[in-house]
Amino acid sequence: MMNILQTRLIHWKKQGLHLLFWLLSPMIVTWLVITAGNAIQDDTKIPVGVVLKEDTELAHDLYESIHTTPFIRAYALDEREALHKLEKHELDSVFIIVEGYEEDIRHGNRNELIKAYESDVSLAYTPVSEMVMSYVQQDVGRSKAAYAVKELADTLQYRFEFNWDDLIARSKQIEKEQDLLQTTLTFLGNGFVHIDEGKNLFQPWHIWALAAFLSTLLLFDWVIKENNPAILPRFAFTRMSMKTYFVQNMLIYITLLFAVDLLTVLVFYYVFYEPISFSFIISLLSYRLMISLGAFLLALIIRQTYVFYATAFILTFVSVIASGAIIPLDGLLAKYPWIHYFNPLNAFLQGDFFHIGLGILFVILLLWYGRKEEYDATS
Amino acid sequence: MLQVEALHKSYGKRSILENITFTLKEGDIVGLVGENGAGKSTLLHVLATLQKPTKGKINLNGMTYHWKSFSQIRKHIGFVPQEVAIWEHLTVEENMLFFEKLSWKNKSKEELQSLCLDMKLNRWKEPVHTLSGGMKRKLNLAISLIHEPELLLLDEPTVGIDLKSKQEIAFYLKDLTAKTGMSIIYISHDMDEIMNLCDRVFCIGNDLFYYELLAQAGQEVIQL
Repeated sequence: MMNILQTRLIHWKKQGLHLLFWLLSPMIVTWLVITAGNAIQDDTKIPVGVVLKEDTELAHDLYESIHTTPFIRAYALDEREALHKLEKHELDSVFIIVEGYEEDIRHGNRNELIKAYESDVSLAYTPVSEMVMSYVQQDVGRSKAAYAVKELADTLQYRFEFNWDDLIARSKQIEKEQDLLQTTLTFLGNGFVHIDEGKNLFQPWHIWALAAFLSTLLLFDWVIKENNPAILPRFAFTRMSMKTYFVQNMLIYITLLFAVDLLTVLVFYYVFYEPISFSFIISLLSYRLMISLGAFLLALIIRQTYVFYATAFILTFVSVIASGAIIPLDGLLAKYPWIHYFNPLNAFLQGDFFHIGLGILFVILLLWYGRKEEYDATS
Repeated sequence: MLQVEALHKSYGKRSILENITFTLKEGDIVGLVGENGAGKSTLLHVLATLQKPTKGKINLNGMTYHWKSFSQIRKHIGFVPQEVAIWEHLTVEENMLFFEKLSWKNKSKEELQSLCLDMKLNRWKEPVHTLSGGMKRKLNLAISLIHEPELLLLDEPTVGIDLKSKQEIAFYLKDLTAKTGMSIIYISHDMDEIMNLCDRVFCIGNDLFYYELLAQAGQEVIQL
């Protein structure tokens, strides 16, 4: 194996940049897509001005709620500046948290807590104001619940010292602990869709899987370049057959690619906060083996590099479609689950250890390896 | 050293080689000539264990040809294919190192360079695609000699190259057989080259053109 590694290094010496580019491209492409996606997401957020007329905890909490709402970019401004920007159409709408907001909430007053302004070109005033109202309603509801607890205690003659702040704090704690805003949706009775707030627009491993699929195919063009009919008879007079040479080189490539995959796991952990687990690593290895075996066998069939490159792009495009990245296929997949078998990314993205394709490709590899070579003196 | 006895090779009903019998001694340089399609390359491929004979016996240095012993026999054979079988994008040095790593015999870089220099292949660091046809042919030959074979089979190794390179290769091969006792079977259509290099010539096929031509020139020639 050491000798074959040395022969590989001789080839790699000539293709250092090419190799490095395709090895790192899935990681770089993922980072670029996620960064660009987030930038686009930021740019398409609705600009909203928020004016805080009082410096209370509830007022600040309300601002924070608006600020952390997806698809809204909230600016804390003073009233004059906010209205000026609204006139210049730099803001879609302005919401003023009026003085006495917390006090009104404490006393259960639900009227005129917020003043809102829109312009003649405000596009999202109605949904944003509905949303702000829902936050206010939440605060009002919480306050009312506190008073309901007090009334209940009085009715039951339960001795307890009423403290509005403590009850509100406890209510917020319960909401946080029980994750009441986390929603799980179900489509067509199958598969759960988990809605995560504040995450990236795209899933890093989904993007990576597609980019790795293409880069692996393109990296395996070495098989076509080295599957040279003129050189074939030379291998009869060396220590190993052409097939052994190819298989051992494929193993070297898989090892190198998987090492880069592990590096990607670390990078994504620090950059995108993607979790690391042993089962994920096994799933990643399975995916790596499958796409590498597929690329290797495909390159053995195809003789011309340009045909191979074209096929690589077509297969990647088909995988993009089959993975539902462009057109949502949830309904179709629910009706025809066998489509999953044609999606090489499916097992990896579902966190499975095995895809039927890996088994099929492995059997094909064994059949190919077992078949006699042209120069094995049987003709 | 090499005994070939009643060798037959056919593809289906089409017979290519019929009843070929000859022997080769240590240090022999034998030319193999004949018209196109006479079976020269097929005979060379059979002797190189790249194709199986239909009938007949071959023995190399006491080893009888059998598919089970082919890998063992190949260690004693050097084969120079008709096509230039080298990596065009690598340098001369890298090509030599590449095939040395896969070879049965380990050689130092100095030994490999010396092998090339012996046949006046001195552009050690040059990429192969920048070399002349003659230089490429020399490298093609040098790679086949890395494992120090006892029998060297060359299939038109100098086709399409200049006279000087042809002479350098011929001189090197003569010198090599004298020094090592290596035996050579050499296919060529160049009669001058054959007569300069070979001790004997085997004519193959039914056409007696080559036989008569060489016999008239005083060459020891055998019709197979």
